[in-house]
Amino acid sequence: MVKRVMVACVSSHLRKTGDGAKTFIIFLCHLLRGLREITDKEKDSFLFENIQTCGRHWKNCCRWKFISQAFLTFQTQILDYVMDHYLSRHFLSIFSSCTKERTLCRSSLEMLLGAYFCGRVGRNNQNLMSQLMCDYVFKCTACESRFEEVLELVDDCFVELKVGVTGLPVSDSRIIAGLVLQRDFSVYCPADGDIRIVIVTETIQPLFSISGSEFTLNSEAQFQTSQFWITERTKAIVKHLQNQNVKLLLSTVKQPDLVIYCAGLNGISVVECLSSEELSLIQRVIGLAPFVLPEASSQYELSHTALAKFCKPLILRSKRFVHLGLMSTCSFAPHCIALCAPVQGLVEQHENALHGAFKMLRQAFKDLDLNCVTQTSDQSCTSGPCIYKNSRESNELPKIVNSSIQRSYQDTVVKKKGELAKTQTNLKVCSNLIVPSVKLEQNVLCSTPKVAVTDSYQTDETLRCSSPNKGRIMDDQEPFIESNSANSKPENTRRGISYENLQVTKLARKDSILPLRYKSLETCTSQSYYSSSIPAGCVLPVGGNFEILLHYYLLNYAKKCQQSEQTMVSRIIANAILGVPKILYKSKKGNYSFPQVYVRALQALQTNQPMISNQTGLESVAGKYQLLTSVLQCLTNILTVDLVINIKRQPQEVYDQDSEEEL
Amino acid sequence: MSRLEAKKPSICRSDPLTGERARASLAALKGLVMSCYGPAGRLKQLHNGRGGSVVTTSQSAALLAGLPVSHPVLKVLTAAVRNHVACFSDGGLFTAILCCNLVENVQRLGLAPTTVIKLNKHLLSLCTSYLKSEGCACRIPVDFSSTQILLSLVRSILTSKPACMLIAKEVDHISTLILRAFLLTIPENAQEHIILGKSIIVPLKGQRVIDSAVLPGILIEVSEVQLMKILPIKKSDSFKVALFCVSLSGDLSDTGEGTLLVSYGVSLENAALDQLFNLGKQLVSDHVDLVLCQKVIHPSLKQFLRTHHVIAVDRIGVSLMEPLSKVTGTWPIGSLGSISPSSYGSVKDLCIAKFGCKHFFHLIPNKTTICSLLLCNRNDTAWDELKLTCQTALHALQLTIKDPYALLGGGCTETHLVAYIRHKTRNEPESVLRDERCSQTELQLITEAFCSALESLAGSLEHDGGEILTDSKYGHFWSVQANLPSAVNWPDLPSRCGCGLYSSQEELSWSFLRSARHPFPPQTCLSREATGSADTLTLDCFTAKLSGLQVAVETASLILDLSCVIEDTN
Repeated sequence: MVKRVMVACVSSHLRKTGDGAKTFIIFLCHLLRGLREITDKEKDSFLFENIQTCGRHWKNCCRWKFISQAFLTFQTQILDYVMDHYLSRHFLSIFSSCTKERTLCRSSLEMLLGAYFCGRVGRNNQNLMSQLMCDYVFKCTACESRFEEVLELVDDCFVELKVGVTGLPVSDSRIIAGLVLQRDFSVYCPADGDIRIVIVTETIQPLFSISGSEFTLNSEAQFQTSQFWITERTKAIVKHLQNQNVKLLLSTVKQPDLVIYCAGLNGISVVECLSSEELSLIQRVIGLAPFVLPEASSQYELSHTALAKFCKPLILRSKRFVHLGLMSTCSFAPHCIALCAPVQGLVEQHENALHGAFKMLRQAFKDLDLNCVTQTSDQSCTSGPCIYKNSRESNELPKIVNSSIQRSYQDTVVKKKGELAKTQTNLKVCSNLIVPSVKLEQNVLCSTPKVAVTDSYQTDETLRCSSPNKGRIMDDQEPFIESNSANSKPENTRRGISYENLQVTKLARKDSILPLRYKSLETCTSQSYYSSSIPAGCVLPVGGNFEILLHYYLLNYAKKCQQSEQTMVSRIIANAILGVPKILYKSKKGNYSFPQVYVRALQALQTNQPMISNQTGLESVAGKYQLLTSVLQCLTNILTVDLVINIKRQPQEVYDQDSEEEL
Repeated sequence: MSRLEAKKPSICRSDPLTGERARASLAALKGLVMSCYGPAGRLKQLHNGRGGSVVTTSQSAALLAGLPVSHPVLKVLTAAVRNHVACFSDGGLFTAILCCNLVENVQRLGLAPTTVIKLNKHLLSLCTSYLKSEGCACRIPVDFSSTQILLSLVRSILTSKPACMLIAKEVDHISTLILRAFLLTIPENAQEHIILGKSIIVPLKGQRVIDSAVLPGILIEVSEVQLMKILPIKKSDSFKVALFCVSLSGDLSDTGEGTLLVSYGVSLENAALDQLFNLGKQLVSDHVDLVLCQKVIHPSLKQFLRTHHVIAVDRIGVSLMEPLSKVTGTWPIGSLGSISPSSYGSVKDLCIAKFGCKHFFHLIPNKTTICSLLLCNRNDTAWDELKLTCQTALHALQLTIKDPYALLGGGCTETHLVAYIRHKTRNEPESVLRDERCSQTELQLITEAFCSALESLAGSLEHDGGEILTDSKYGHFWSVQANLPSAVNWPDLPSRCGCGLYSSQEELSWSFLRSARHPFPPQTCLSREATGSADTLTLDCFTAKLSGLQVAVETASLILDLSCVIEDTN
């Protein structure tokens, strides 16, 4: 089951970024292994505290849940912080100049693509593919500075921009100027010069009756006159197109024989049955809206036309295709890639690799925002109001959750709507708010024991994940806990069942003060975000550079960090990420073996010298960053599941049967 | 109720090439294709236990199409060969054998796939650049002013397909026909882009091969009943033709998605028929002599046309539409209403011809690039094989127009290439070793594997246990009879090399093909006199063979690169 979740996560990641599937799995496996080691170690300490009747299983789940929250916190805060403060100084840029006007550097692009294709296509085709793709990117980019748009368009419409040809050697793959539509002309009339194009989305020949209407025939004569009218009208429209000098008719539907005949007589080439994807591509390239049939066939100025430089049949592997030289109105200069290979499977492999490469480039050339907040207003102020709502449930808590407070807490969160849920999502997705301990202390100080009954686990969560360096918070609150206990005694005493519960209760009590703080803080919600980003086109050399850097800085961070949880998470991640370069260098020996490389890199880092990479090739930092966040999200997904219910029946059919029987 | 079966897990096999099963099936396929190769190749008979016709063949196209292959590696291999054949028609067996040989030879070496693939690619580029270079001695330019080389090319293709069951005289006849059919498709006033016409192969089974013929224009087969209805054709120097692509049967065409209400007493059939008669009247008044229809013509309209001395032929089918429109110069009419006079065409003459037991309606054009190749053979299987061969030959000729070269056949290109590669890698290995980062030994081993794959390919031309020799001047292929008394001085025996370019009159030193020899530089630059002197050469299509070579090496690399096969058995 875990595997299925993993596969689903990997494929969704791949769909978005087109890169890193293997790293994803390796990293995730190492993370899980790291986690298991940690929990195995700690097991003993649990056991003797776990005298109560609560099952081991639930206990573990609590723990996993706990850890997953810690990972989330890491992903949303520490990772960005480390990326921004430490790693960013090592980043290289793929652009040749760092000025405002960014120009793509061909050799760096080739290195980036070379590294990408390295793991995706056969060894003998790697160079060829990266050359081909490089050429393609440069040929398609009409305007140097707007290649992001080009990449976006190519990624979206890639299926329409490639032609697969089987039976030819791979080396025959090439770039074709213009668009290739994978069908033949219905009528082809050779024409010179610029070719005026019209797009239609309905049949030009009028029909007897349209859907939902009725046409009554009262006599044979009526039938004949209507047919005559249809013929004449069709002719008139086609003639009209010819008068407007239209030479090519692109149709999304199949046109009747009569239309084809008339078009042929009037020297108009026709291409029928364009798919909606092809149509949208053509529309994006030439910005042409479909031609609306005029109500009256009188003088009707044709406004929706575009021009093509040429329009001719193209023969690939004894099959005829339509070859259009559209005059682009956007930054994309239309070109197609003909991918040749001896077998279909290889064509598909290359197609997927190219498509992935475009996705990767698209991501690499986007600015990626990092949320690094050093000084903020308190996050919990938003959560304040909900705490009162919470109170009812939290009062019941001890009964429901004897051993799984965390779980019920989760439930509460899920049930809650409105602000609480909002806060929670904020928390999960993008909260990078770091609560400075100083402020917290202040808040704590001005709190009164009166409100302490309204405790909430939700805010406790907020506190826990809010700051990496607020290890002292709990200490600060010690006095209040005591004072609180007077009011909330019944609950607290019952909660002190297990080690974990105890901890949670403690925190909960601490949170009980928050409503007040909310008030006190409302006036001073001065937010000062320090947000940074990974600029577009950031790259690092391949060969585990990113991983080693991250490992190094995370360990450093972990050393500085006082909170035990964050230290642990950072350590786990730092060690797990090292698994990637370990595998990369597995087959290497001697000076290039992993320990050697690792030691050299560490030395370089410690002495502030540039790291030397023995491999040529670059990889996108944005891709790596996204990979990390995806893996961490997947991991939290996996960890939060406490029970897998295995249903051994076919999902659809059996379900219906059962429900009938039950009824 | 359908039975539900639990989903089986996928089968994952690592190292798909090392298993005994893989080796055995690869060897089986190799044996199969090798035994078919060349003029002396053995025929294969394909039966399907469930019925269907029996195919006797030695061509890769027919063989691989009917051959069930289960091993994933072989599936890749056969798919590659079939795709190659679909593109080039020729060189399928060549590709298959070379690919099998390469995989087998390299597999035996046990080197890392990375090195093998890199070096194979390098050797391939060595071959292709040599074959494309001016100094290439196994490639001859094709002279379109004489038929000699073209005829040799066609003849080589015909003789290499023994399942056609042709005797020498028939081979001559058919090769002349094929060449004539091809020349008829070339337009007279050739501009920058030549658009070739089409030669339509018309089947006539059960006749003697010698009865085959090439006719300009189009033959439309008509049944005897239809023939009775066709009037005697009047004498004229030009006939006006109307070609319809819409049905003339009076059925209602698309009326839209809504409903069509017809009042009681209104007969749409009559209305439609009226319309057809109006059309008929227009055709008659436009003095059309011949009406051709892709679909069906209503019997009443036919009758009407006949009474007005217009010949009507229907049910022509979509495949003949394009050639017909070209031959007659008509624009296929898609309207039952008024017909534009510009869409009529004409033919020079019409006649009814009888070939064998079949009657044909023969349209003779004024000037066009369409011709009909009436192909006869004794039985169905032989006819099928002959048809495939003719298509291959026509395709090879078309490819030759694009790239006006031919390669020496009969194994000479292969042995010559081997000599060239051996010499090149022995004498100039530095650049390779530097670029590809490999050791001298690795280069030697892989070159040897590559060369022996090519040699074994050439060697598979010999099926009767003969010995194969190669000379040390040109590096050509010489075959001698088996079981020669050792006393005879065998080097004197072969009179001509495999391609027929050189004779043994010259002072040549021979050695056995697969024996250890010292690498020698084969003589490059073909002399003009040499190609002129030999009257019949064995030639191969340049484009097809070059691409086959590339496909074979690339597919072998692909197969060698496989480390795991995952099969979904559901």
